[in-house]
Amino acid sequence: MKARRRVVTSSTGRVTAAKRQPTVRKFKSAFASVGSAPMAARTASPAGPVARPTSAVAPTPTDVEVDLAVDLGRGLVLRNPILVASGTFGYGIEYGEVVEVQRLGAICCKGTTLKARIGNPTPRVTETPAGMLNSIGLQNPGVDAVIAKYSDTWASWEVPVIVNVAGESVGDYVEVVRRLEGVPGIAGIELNISCPNVGKGGLQFAIDADAAAGVTAAVRRATDLPLLVKLSPNVADIRPIARAIADAGADALTAVNTLSGIAIGPTRARPLLGNIYGGLSGPAIKPVALRVVYEVAQVVDIPVVAIGGVTDLADVLDFLSVGAVAVQVGTAIFADPTLPVRLIDELGAECRRRGLTSYQPLIGTALPARTGAPSARGVEYRP
Amino acid sequence: MRLAGAELVGSREILRDQWLQTYHAPDLVSGARAGQFVHVRTGDYSGMVLRRPFSYNTVDPATGTLTIHFRTIGRGTEWFTHLRPGDRVEMLGPLGRPFEVDPRSQHLLLIAGGLGMAGVRALADEAIRAGREVTVLFGGATAHDVYPSSLLPDEVEYVVATDDGSVGHRGYVTDLVPEYEAWADQAFACGPLPMLKALARLATTRRSRMGVASLGRKRGGGKPVPAGSAQARRKAFLQVSMEQNMGCAVGACLGCVVMSTSGTPQRVCREGPVFAADEIDWEAGW
Repeated sequence: MKARRRVVTSSTGRVTAAKRQPTVRKFKSAFASVGSAPMAARTASPAGPVARPTSAVAPTPTDVEVDLAVDLGRGLVLRNPILVASGTFGYGIEYGEVVEVQRLGAICCKGTTLKARIGNPTPRVTETPAGMLNSIGLQNPGVDAVIAKYSDTWASWEVPVIVNVAGESVGDYVEVVRRLEGVPGIAGIELNISCPNVGKGGLQFAIDADAAAGVTAAVRRATDLPLLVKLSPNVADIRPIARAIADAGADALTAVNTLSGIAIGPTRARPLLGNIYGGLSGPAIKPVALRVVYEVAQVVDIPVVAIGGVTDLADVLDFLSVGAVAVQVGTAIFADPTLPVRLIDELGAECRRRGLTSYQPLIGTALPARTGAPSARGVEYRP
Repeated sequence: MRLAGAELVGSREILRDQWLQTYHAPDLVSGARAGQFVHVRTGDYSGMVLRRPFSYNTVDPATGTLTIHFRTIGRGTEWFTHLRPGDRVEMLGPLGRPFEVDPRSQHLLLIAGGLGMAGVRALADEAIRAGREVTVLFGGATAHDVYPSSLLPDEVEYVVATDDGSVGHRGYVTDLVPEYEAWADQAFACGPLPMLKALARLATTRRSRMGVASLGRKRGGGKPVPAGSAQARRKAFLQVSMEQNMGCAVGACLGCVVMSTSGTPQRVCREGPVFAADEIDWEAGW
């Protein structure tokens, strides 16, 4: 079966992928080595969401090799659109052999700051109806320690690692990114300007279009690495902010970070979390995330990576339909660590069932007709 | 660490709101040690997004079964009580680091506060199998909360304290400790934070109160041992099993930390749940 062969290809192709240079633009599909038939299938795949094969003439499911590759810009080409979200997957090593890490589209690592942070007082997490609140407070060993500890491992992996970067000031962000620049094993940057759980460097960048554009532009000048910027839903209107970030040079947007909230302790003497405020995630925030992606995808022409309450294939398809080109899985990993890898298979199977050779026609189907097709391709590198 | 299915074999309410459940899960039993835990998925993902961590209460490699002991405190634990024999749940385990017993320790003092019994219960079995003597000190609120002695191995000496004096000593379980300090080679505790804090304080002053002179070679030959290592725990007189709200239970989310004396937060799920008492900063307030 082709699906199985693909797995083998990815795990044995480790040697060739050891020295991955993220800034080199080289479109290398995961299926390129499988054979000539998939290549032909891919060239025949439609450029936009218009040419959709009718289901009546759909070929038998196993015949079709589905192209799940997605280009987030600046050479960051993922083999599939399922990522794991920052803060829920550590540095990629924690789940060990339980998860087939190398099959993931990409890993977003825990938020990384210039200096080590010990994080917030406990309790830091609590379950809420259909979701959870977390208030970790960006505990991390600092960018230098992260590079020293994990970059060699990451460089030997086939799965791209996107480092989530947080800071208290523009200078912090720029310095962290400078240190990450050129380190083998780092495929991209996800700018976390929207952490609701820290005093400084959290939301103040995400709630103001000028501040968001300022930090994005400063980081853009400092690095050639693919740059994603993670949006906060804790704003009145996300559209001007998204547009400003895109104009400032971001390669892609991630939407959304957690929603700010609180929980009360059993004695009702004080809020439950040590930090009082926490970020809400899980299925509870999916409608909010859908709304934000729906709005953002219509006003920017860079790819949007959706995140917020993904627990099954239907959620993935929902987010694709409102214009996301890829999806991050976060909180659901805690209950079901194998979910992201399963979603890759299920998305492929769904495309086959519909007779598609690519998942691209699934993108943006629920957007209003007057808007053009959302970007499913990263911006070209502009030196 | 393995992800495996577990079939409920038996479930009963041993005390008011406290349940003992037996699961058949050979994959999770092999290699599991006292102090480790399993992270169990509830069936209702739409409402409950987090797994629930449970200590290995007892482990029986011969039959491939394990037991968990919990109190119904919320929707998750409530959900587990509605399971019927034959129902299957998914468990991730064994997780965390176990209790480490010094090979020379012959007398083990186990101190449990309430549900803390679930944390140290498996160690009693392990120690008795290894030919050691075990005393279990148990503290509860009233007679209704006292762990039944019938569920402990016969070889164990079992001493109970209750807050209202309805059974055994009237007062805290920590009041009983000084009597056993000289007898014990090592102590292992699990329970509410104030109890662990009091025990840690007792442990630091133990040598001076007992008039033990620091002469000759220390255990381990005075070689420095890395903090958090198995040797560090093996050398410690008091080991504690810590509790904290948990997210992923594999060390990825950093939700379940306790502050260590070195000033860096330690993950209960990965560096713990068992710590040497002197590794924990008891005054940190978190």
